[in-house]
Amino acid sequence: MTVADIVKRAGIARKTFYENFTSKEECFLAAQEYAMETALERVVAAAGSDVSWPRRVRAGLAAFLEYVAEEPALAKTCMVEALAVSPTSIGYYEESQQSFVSLFRLGRDVSPRAKALPETLEEAIVGGVFWIVYQRLVAAEAETITELLPELVEFALTPYLGAEAAREIGAADVKGESGRKLKKLAN
Amino acid sequence: MSDPVNPVESPEFPPELARLPPGRHGLPREFVAHNQRERLIAGLAEAVAENGYAGTTIAHITRHAAVSRRTFYEHFSSKDECFVAAYDTVMIELRKRVGEAFEQEEEWPQAIRAGIAAMLEFLTAEPSLARLSMVEALVAGPVVVERYDAAIQSLVPYFEAGRKGRSKEILAGLSATTEEALVGGMVSLISRRIFADRLDELEPLLPDLVEFTLTPYLGSAEAAKVARAS
Repeated sequence: MTVADIVKRAGIARKTFYENFTSKEECFLAAQEYAMETALERVVAAAGSDVSWPRRVRAGLAAFLEYVAEEPALAKTCMVEALAVSPTSIGYYEESQQSFVSLFRLGRDVSPRAKALPETLEEAIVGGVFWIVYQRLVAAEAETITELLPELVEFALTPYLGAEAAREIGAADVKGESGRKLKKLAN
Repeated sequence: MSDPVNPVESPEFPPELARLPPGRHGLPREFVAHNQRERLIAGLAEAVAENGYAGTTIAHITRHAAVSRRTFYEHFSSKDECFVAAYDTVMIELRKRVGEAFEQEEEWPQAIRAGIAAMLEFLTAEPSLARLSMVEALVAGPVVVERYDAAIQSLVPYFEAGRKGRSKEILAGLSATTEEALVGGMVSLISRRIFADRLDELEPLLPDLVEFTLTPYLGSAEAAKVARAS
């Protein structure tokens, strides 16, 4: 991809591009920043709609996966291709993961095992979720990514609540969701 | 650009790869060629650690390797090709060490612990190679990125082995992506610290990584016990 490709798609003059960005890389970083912020906003909004932490995690993860499924090209640009741009973009990617970490950390307030949980647990959970999403984007399977919700919820909640409770919350409401999906298709 | 820099004047020159004695050393041609190739690979690792992948030139590599530019082109057609060779070399070594450590333990949880420990130990001892394989590989082009992804996925079977003999309840708690998520989480912890040049934090991660990866198979209490065992 060249600056010429970008200005053509954006329908702007080359001059306008250079008024806003000094290079393709800078433009890439801005796109990455924008997408990551949007994703985080959606996650926070969705998670805020519930009071129970496990359900918040579920709602937040669902919002994240839906965003990826809705915008697979943008997601791929920001979570796959941006990594190949420069160490700066890798750094940005790493940093944006940290915002998700704090959302998971709230689980320590409700976990009976809170004191025993490893310090790096949330970092590892977020890293695992991002890796799964990365793999699906590389394999061009973004459209079906929302199907992974139950298992990712279970993966994220198990250390806090134990496998059984985590599985229940992961599987909860799936009928309701597919019901909504069917309705959407029917309309 | 044909005369290599004298290693004595080059402070970054890796001492373990001392320059071959000049002139008629009587070493077989194949040995010299092999040695040169390895030296170029080591030279690339040093140069990339210093300048990043994008900032590294063939001149940087040959200077660190203390060979001529011509010798470089006898072995590799480009910087990319040299990087791929270096990446593969690092990964073969890393896989070997992890595999050997894993095989030495009889019990699966201990084998996982030993494998992770071997990986952390290698990356800590080889800062340039750690950076090359976990950070610079991502910016070194699609060929390397594909290998990077495959290398991470190649860790999945070690964890899948933990499913064997587990109870129905435990197995019900594992999904098709459990191992992938565990491996992804583990690697993200490791690469973030390498990226930030905090290599001293790698080995202390061992208990956390072991507990994190064993919890789905053993439950958190038992996983913590294995993780924190001295």
